Amino acid sequence: MIYGDKKTGIIVAGATGRQGEYHIGLMNEYARQVGGRGVVAGVTPKKGGQSVHGVPVYNTVKEALKEQDATASVIFVPGTAAADSIMESADAGLELVVAITEHIPVHDTMKAMAYAEMKGCAVIGPNCPGLLSPGEVKMGIMPADLFSRGHVGVISRSGTLTYEVVDELTRAGIGQSTVVGIGGDPVIGQTFADVLERFAQDPETKAVVLIGEVGGNLEAEGAQNTDVPLVAYIAGVSAPPDKRMGHAGAIVEGGESDARSKIAKLKKMDIPVASRPSEIPDLVRELFRCRC
Amino acid sequence: MKLLEYEAKQLFAEEGIKVPTGILVSKHEEILLHMDAIKGKVVVKAQVDIGGRGKAGGVLMADRDTVIETARKLFNTTIKGIPVQRILIEERLDIQHEYFVSITMDRAKKQPVILFAETGGMDIEETARKNAGAVRSVSFCPLLPDVPGFLLRELCGDAPSDIQKTVNRLYHVFCHKDALLAEINPLVTTPGGVYAADAKLIIDDNSLARQGIAVNRDLTEREREAEKHGFSFVELGGTIGVIGNGAGLTMSTLDLIEFYGGRAADFLDVGGGADSERVMHAVRLAASVPSVKVIVVNLLGGITRCDEVARGIIASGVTVPVIVRIAGTNAEEGRKLLSEKGYEMLDTMDLVVKRAVEVVK
Repeated sequence: MIYGDKKTGIIVAGATGRQGEYHIGLMNEYARQVGGRGVVAGVTPKKGGQSVHGVPVYNTVKEALKEQDATASVIFVPGTAAADSIMESADAGLELVVAITEHIPVHDTMKAMAYAEMKGCAVIGPNCPGLLSPGEVKMGIMPADLFSRGHVGVISRSGTLTYEVVDELTRAGIGQSTVVGIGGDPVIGQTFADVLERFAQDPETKAVVLIGEVGGNLEAEGAQNTDVPLVAYIAGVSAPPDKRMGHAGAIVEGGESDARSKIAKLKKMDIPVASRPSEIPDLVRELFRCRC
Repeated sequence: MKLLEYEAKQLFAEEGIKVPTGILVSKHEEILLHMDAIKGKVVVKAQVDIGGRGKAGGVLMADRDTVIETARKLFNTTIKGIPVQRILIEERLDIQHEYFVSITMDRAKKQPVILFAETGGMDIEETARKNAGAVRSVSFCPLLPDVPGFLLRELCGDAPSDIQKTVNRLYHVFCHKDALLAEINPLVTTPGGVYAADAKLIIDDNSLARQGIAVNRDLTEREREAEKHGFSFVELGGTIGVIGNGAGLTMSTLDLIEFYGGRAADFLDVGGGADSERVMHAVRLAASVPSVKVIVVNLLGGITRCDEVARGIIASGVTVPVIVRIAGTNAEEGRKLLSEKGYEMLDTMDLVVKRAVEVVK
């Protein structure tokens, strides 16, 4: 497992908001199914003493940690307050922050990422669906019923496209070890390279599907420095230049941030690149065939 | 959102960067009111959001005698197809040397990055292509309030120390105004000091509210309608309308259209957890794109419930054919509702896109 397992205690920041409350319910339902600890505390300033789905709410992360044993937090705090919440978790000594929030000002994100790094805290996201290790742990908002346990890791910049690919894999009988949504913003915490480094150490993971999109250059950077067998898919071949395609980070800005350049780079590294999501399971199977 | 030159210059001036004295007019006759302020030689600059404005004829030279006629001519032209609605008339600077400075973000390093060149001006891209060493860059920890002095010295080389100060002030603009890009090209030395002769500033859309910007005027009317409902929306000019949930899945649907030989009319991401009303507005919006002949709805229900999606499609009442692929939460019920009304449905995104391409052909 990477990032967490059944034993991971989770804090949810923004616990009393609509999204926070809803997903505490779903995360703990999953935890019950797999026999994990799940969400052990919620945090919302000035709402300490309340409870959400039986989970106690505290005013601060530090207060929560006095009474509960947790190593990770999932952030549902809205845009302009979310970066502060990421720093609060990092400052309290948590190892992992999963930031679901969309629309965080990018200057805030940049500062929060620098701060978290100083504190030795890994941040997944922001603007991401979180992560799910089937049969172990769910930290975020991924729909658990599409997943099946197995040996293929998935790293993706998007949400529903990840579910689409996971669904294709599951239907093809290819289970997943851990699926990580790293987020669609221009500045994110854990990059393809960081997650691949974890997958490389993970005995459960035999291959990784890398789902990228237009904007930036992080896909090739990640693929370059790993020995893990990869299959890639890049969305946005038809995206016009200088238009933001939904995600704040999905924008072709000259240079080599367009899909075709990314695909060409990956192919140059002998990485099979799917031309559409439904091709991914076959390419994964071929990968295993080649290696045995 | 991109700011126009005169707006950016106002913000630059607030941080202590010198900008030329200027007059903004929206008709050439208005210049008559400002003749006292126009002493000698001036530059007449179209305020349009266009790269390469100078080369496209958007910047003209004039003096006190010719300024009105020059402005009149400029108002009557278009710059790369964009009409000129505002003109900035600025004192012409006595330029000794031109530099280039640009601040943006390095995604890989997650840090601000400053680019600097000792030869600025219209040909900076050409310069950078020909001589990779001509543009220097530094990046540093975003928690620092100023550009560290040693990096300024490294970056600016032999340029006068006022240039270094101006670069640091531009970094203040970059931070305080939530900029994705802050650029001065050219940054010039004159006998009267260092001036920003031009100014470029792009504000992060996620920060418009706290920057006190109420309306994102980069948006078209349909884009504004989309923003009202919280959709991401881009028009693409083809015939197949696209509605999806999630940016990645929607983008992937566009790519599939291209793969099967069609052309998408739009990118419309309804976001997570859309109810029937949002879906209804989405379908109507996609149908309002003039070139649309058929609409593909590709939704993977997680938080989004497919029965709500179906109700929204039916409620939209649009006349353009809508072909649907819904999967996930409550998909059975959604399919039942749609089939009662005679909507065409297919099981996978490959099939639904293939079908739409056939319908158009």
